[in-house]
Amino acid sequence: MAAPIWAAPFRLKNLLKIWPIIILATALFVVRWTKGAAFADFYALALRPFWPGTAQKHWIESGLDIQLQSKLRLLEQDNQRLRALLSLERASGEERISAPVISRVPGGWWQQIELGKGRVDGIMNGAPVLGPGGLIGIVESATPFTSRVRLLTSPKSRIGVWVPRLKRHGILTGVGTSRPKLVFLEKDPQVRPGDLISTSPASTLLPPNVPIGVLQSFDSAASFEPSGFVQLIASPEAIDWVQIQVR
Amino acid sequence: MSNLYNRPICVASGLLLPFLFFANPPWLTLMGVGPCWAVLWLLPWALVDGPKSAAIAGMLLGCLLDGMTLGDATYIPSLLCLGLWWGNLGVRREPFERRLNLGLLAWLGSCWVGITLWLQFVLRNHEEPSQWLGSWGFSTVLAQSLLTGLIAPIFCSFILLFFRKQKALILEKNRFGR
Repeated sequence: MAAPIWAAPFRLKNLLKIWPIIILATALFVVRWTKGAAFADFYALALRPFWPGTAQKHWIESGLDIQLQSKLRLLEQDNQRLRALLSLERASGEERISAPVISRVPGGWWQQIELGKGRVDGIMNGAPVLGPGGLIGIVESATPFTSRVRLLTSPKSRIGVWVPRLKRHGILTGVGTSRPKLVFLEKDPQVRPGDLISTSPASTLLPPNVPIGVLQSFDSAASFEPSGFVQLIASPEAIDWVQIQVR
Repeated sequence: MSNLYNRPICVASGLLLPFLFFANPPWLTLMGVGPCWAVLWLLPWALVDGPKSAAIAGMLLGCLLDGMTLGDATYIPSLLCLGLWWGNLGVRREPFERRLNLGLLAWLGSCWVGITLWLQFVLRNHEEPSQWLGSWGFSTVLAQSLLTGLIAPIFCSFILLFFRKQKALILEKNRFGR
C-alpha cells in the first residue's frame, strides 16, 4: 500500500500532483478576499435579461416622491404650528392662485406686469406675486379682471428682506435696472456675493421665507450705507404664469 | 368744424395706443425699452390738425397713458407742449414730405418726454446728482428716443397720409355740405 501524498517527503513532483487543489484554494481565497465580487458581477450579468423593468423603478420613485411630499406636509404643519405659537404670519402655499401674465413691461420707465385675474378672483392691492423661483413683485392695483404688479426692479419698489445665512435684515430697492439694490443698516453686515436673499421669516406683509435672489456684488466700503446688487431668481422677462398669495 | 376729432376712425386710432403699450412686442425693443407710441401718434396728428387740437390730443393721450402706468410721473405736460410745438410747425410751414424730418422730430419729442419723466422720477426719489448719468433713466431716454426716431419715418408717414386723407374728406364734406 502506497503512502498518502501528504505523508510523502516534499518533492516537486508530488507538488505537481496536487495542483488542482492549490488552484481551487487560491480561487476560493480570491473569492473571500474580494467578498465575492466576481460572483456578484457574473450573477448580475447572467440575470440581466430578467432584471425588473422600468415600471418598478417608477414605482419606487413615485413612492419616494410621496414620502418626500408627506414629509414636507408634516414639516409645513409643524412650521404653521410653531408660527402660530409665535403669533407670526401664516406661511401657507394653499392660498395661492395662478394668473397668466397678459402684458409685460419689464424695462424702461414703467416696470410692471399685467395679470389676467383681478378682484373677482380675490386679488387685492398689496398681494405678493411669486414667479417660479421666488418673489417678483407686489400687486399695486387690481380691477375686477386684471391686476397690475409693480416689479421689484421698479424704482418705487422698496421691501424689507432677510439674509438667512447671517440672520440680518436689509432693504431691497428697485433702481430701474434688472438688479435691485440691497442696502444694509449695519456698517459691516458681513455678507458676501452668493448669499441668498429672502423675505423675512417674521414678515407680516409678505409671505415669510420666500427666496428673492442672490447677492451678486457688495460694496462694503460705501461711504454712508453698505450696499450691493441682487440678481433675482425669478426673471419677469420670461414668466408666463405667476402665483398670487391671497389672504 | 374741420378737426380730426370729427372722424371717429381718427379718434379710434388713438385709442389703439394703450394696446400697443400693453403688447410691448419684445422684437421692437432696444435694451428692453419700447418706442414712445404716444409721440409716434401725436406727431402726425399735430402736423395735420394744428396746435389747439394737438394740445388737447396730447393732454387726453397723457391722461390715457397715466392711467395705464404705475407711479406718480405724468405724461401730460410733455405731450401738451409737444402738441403745441408740432401743431405750430404744421400750420406755419410747408407740409412735411421728408421722412427724415419726421424721424428727427419724433427723436426730439421722445427725448423731451423721456427727460420730463426722468426729472419727475429723480425729483421724487431724491437721487443724488452724481448718480444721474449712471442711472437707468439716462439709458432709457437714449434707447427710447433712438428707437422712436428710427421707427417714425415709416410709422408716422403712414399715419400722416391717413390723417391728411381724413382731413381732406372733412374739408370736402364741409365745402359741399352733406
